[in-house]
Amino acid sequence: MRDTPLSNCDRLFLLKAIEEKKRLDGRQTYDYRNIKITFGTDYGCCIVELGKTRVLCQVSCELVPPKDSRPTEGIMFFNLELSPMASPAFEPNRQSELLVLLNRQLERCLRNSKCIDTESLCVVSGEKVWQIRVDIHVLNHDGNLMDAASIAAISALSHFRRPDVAIQGRDVTVGSYLLVDPCEREERVKDGLLVIAMNKHQEICSIQSSGGIMLLKDQVLRCSKIASIKVSEITELINKALENDKKIRKEGGKFGFAESMPKERITTLKRDKAPVEMTDVKETANDIVNRTETTTEVASVPSPVLVATGTAQVGEGIVNSWGLDEDEEDEPLTEDRKTDEVMIISDSEEEEVVILNEEAHFTTLLLRMRVYPDARRLTGTSSAFPTVERARP
Amino acid sequence: MAGLELLSDQGYRLDGRKAPELRKLQARMSVFAQADGSAYLEQGNTKALAVVYGPHETRGSRSKSLHDRAVINCQYSMATFSTAERKRRPHGDRKSSEMSLHLKQTFEAAVLTELYPRSQIDIYVKILQADGGNYSACVNAATLALVDAGIPMRDYVCACTAGFVEDTALADLCHAEESGGGTSLALALLPRSGNIALLQMDARLHQDHLNALMEAAMTACKGLSKVLDGVVRQHLEEVSVLTSE
Amino acid sequence: MMELDQSGSVLREYGSEQSLLSRPDGSSTFVQGDTSILAGVYGPAEVKVSKEIYDRATVEVLIQPKMGLPSVRERAREQCVRETCEAALLLTLHPRSSLTVILQVVHDDGSLLSCCLNAACMALMDAGLPMNHLFCGVTCAISKEGQITTDPTARQEKESRALLTFALDSVERNVLMSSTTGSFSVHELQQCIAVSQKASEQIFQFYRDSVKRRYSKIQ
Repeated sequence: MRDTPLSNCDRLFLLKAIEEKKRLDGRQTYDYRNIKITFGTDYGCCIVELGKTRVLCQVSCELVPPKDSRPTEGIMFFNLELSPMASPAFEPNRQSELLVLLNRQLERCLRNSKCIDTESLCVVSGEKVWQIRVDIHVLNHDGNLMDAASIAAISALSHFRRPDVAIQGRDVTVGSYLLVDPCEREERVKDGLLVIAMNKHQEICSIQSSGGIMLLKDQVLRCSKIASIKVSEITELINKALENDKKIRKEGGKFGFAESMPKERITTLKRDKAPVEMTDVKETANDIVNRTETTTEVASVPSPVLVATGTAQVGEGIVNSWGLDEDEEDEPLTEDRKTDEVMIISDSEEEEVVILNEEAHFTTLLLRMRVYPDARRLTGTSSAFPTVERARP
Repeated sequence: MAGLELLSDQGYRLDGRKAPELRKLQARMSVFAQADGSAYLEQGNTKALAVVYGPHETRGSRSKSLHDRAVINCQYSMATFSTAERKRRPHGDRKSSEMSLHLKQTFEAAVLTELYPRSQIDIYVKILQADGGNYSACVNAATLALVDAGIPMRDYVCACTAGFVEDTALADLCHAEESGGGTSLALALLPRSGNIALLQMDARLHQDHLNALMEAAMTACKGLSKVLDGVVRQHLEEVSVLTSE
Repeated sequence: MMELDQSGSVLREYGSEQSLLSRPDGSSTFVQGDTSILAGVYGPAEVKVSKEIYDRATVEVLIQPKMGLPSVRERAREQCVRETCEAALLLTLHPRSSLTVILQVVHDDGSLLSCCLNAACMALMDAGLPMNHLFCGVTCAISKEGQITTDPTARQEKESRALLTFALDSVERNVLMSSTTGSFSVHELQQCIAVSQKASEQIFQFYRDSVKRRYSKIQ
């Protein structure tokens, strides 16, 4: 499904609003949306909500032989996925431009900037190193995926092992106006994007401009100033979230996604552990089984019938009337006789349905198959079903 | 690579250059007869080939064409023999597709695409030998090829890398300097207006040094633009001599 | 004959939240103990020509694993959920259109398929799609001693001899879909169905309560 394009009206309105330093959600130009970090029951798993944008991140690891060129370094692998849940425009398993861009940017700001010490992941030099795999799923796309993804990746990585990571923050330009943390609609009217990753020591980890904009040097420098402020805020938030989670785990309290569901919301409902009534379960089960068992005895077990050499058939329905008989019946058929036959067949069908066993179903199936060709032949000869109706009384 | 000294005490780099010095740049335009525009460029030991087709009707799915401007289609590839280790896939991996995207974005900013609505411009770039600064060599070569094809641009697009070692900014990094793990900044500049078409930086750098580093890269780009301009002028002279006779 | 133990027959604490994502037409998260699924529904929407069916809507179900790419196991689950959805939804009302259900595994601690079914149903309700009846999923594990456990955890699943998941409808409590692994007798099968029907009543009550709560402010 393709994304609905933004109408010219909307576009103009948005640009006009930005010109007047107003944003759709009432933020100032340099404001971030609310960030919420929730850790799961597993280590290294978290959900980050940035406004309405939502991503899920899971870190996992395994022992692998290292790359030949770097025998003492562990391997970091980032896999960001644009789940079709996030936006109808995302197709599953397709390498879109956005996907390549996001993945490379993540790689660049988390691996190439060396904010994770890959050498400490080495177990035996040249033989075994840890491969850290970071899976990020975008669950809802409301702009600024890169920020949400990197916050999620960083939080999950720190949650997974130890906080040896730097933190990133970002900026965005819309035309000649600067906006921080754009939502999805703002992203659609943007001219370009400038992403700056920084750590809390005011060191820039990576810069990436994209989208065919013309930047001036002052703008870049101004963006980096804004980024440094935002970064310290976000770092603090992540640390707080980590501490909080650690504390709860230590105290043996409840944690995980189930606990983070907002209880006061009207769309949310929770139930406590509840026993399932099982008192008469055994009886009903026995009842049903017994009933089927008795009926099986009533029904005569059909014996295999040998029609011709090399074939064997089971069930009475198999006594084939239209292979041999057909030729004889073909011409002398009167309509009355025909309807009789149909009636009989439908009778026997009802009988068989009551008996609930496999063979019976099998027979009815075969019987039905018999009815149809006959009926069709009826239609062939004259008006089919009305005659059946008439003949019935 | 801790042992490698990128900048000696005397202020010389690994290949004997001074910090702001560029590598030797050589270029030729119109190297192919069939393409609309082409160029071959050597920046030190990095060798790049760029070919431009277009503007022509949009190929493939019609839905890609834009009603108000031309679509720029870029493909970046590296020859299998371009690196010390033989490459398995010349293009299509994550890095190459990212590079293609960046080239596309750079030239979308520089080419006057609004002159050719519902059409397409193809830019194919191939690195024949990689020795650092692949992105910048590609951009420079593609600029020359676009000029050769006669496609109007706002300005030359010049790209250059810059690194930062011991509080000094180094211009135009070679492979050894790039792979050392230090800071590396790639910048594509439209020299006359001072607009930055693309900016990309890897590895850590303190915020305060950003200005110095960008300044170094921008100076290098301006230097490059003079060389490119010289190449274009010389080429035109050659062509006009041939045609006048 | 096996003995039924009351202690095994509990539903873990469960809960759900609806309309939590802004982009999909309907979304929900369903949590059973630690198992947690997030579901999003898009539709009725335009459909690819190759997938178009002239007299009814095309249902697509995607299950995204938490780590790595979807494998055969996910495909099998997708089919189970899809067939259940197809049975419940009134597809003929939206010919030549697509309904897409995307399920994201957030945490797997047993009874994953039943949790998927429940999340899908809640999301379909949130999207306001017309249905014949609601459906829910119940997983039963039969331990080596023959004890039936409803809503098993991952550990209980591992220790079990057989694992049965049923999708039940809300009107007749009929079985819409069953997915079983391991060996079990006819008696055990019937017992599991009976247990699931009992358990489903609680889940349907939960659906009812959550809808009631959701619209409680509307006069």
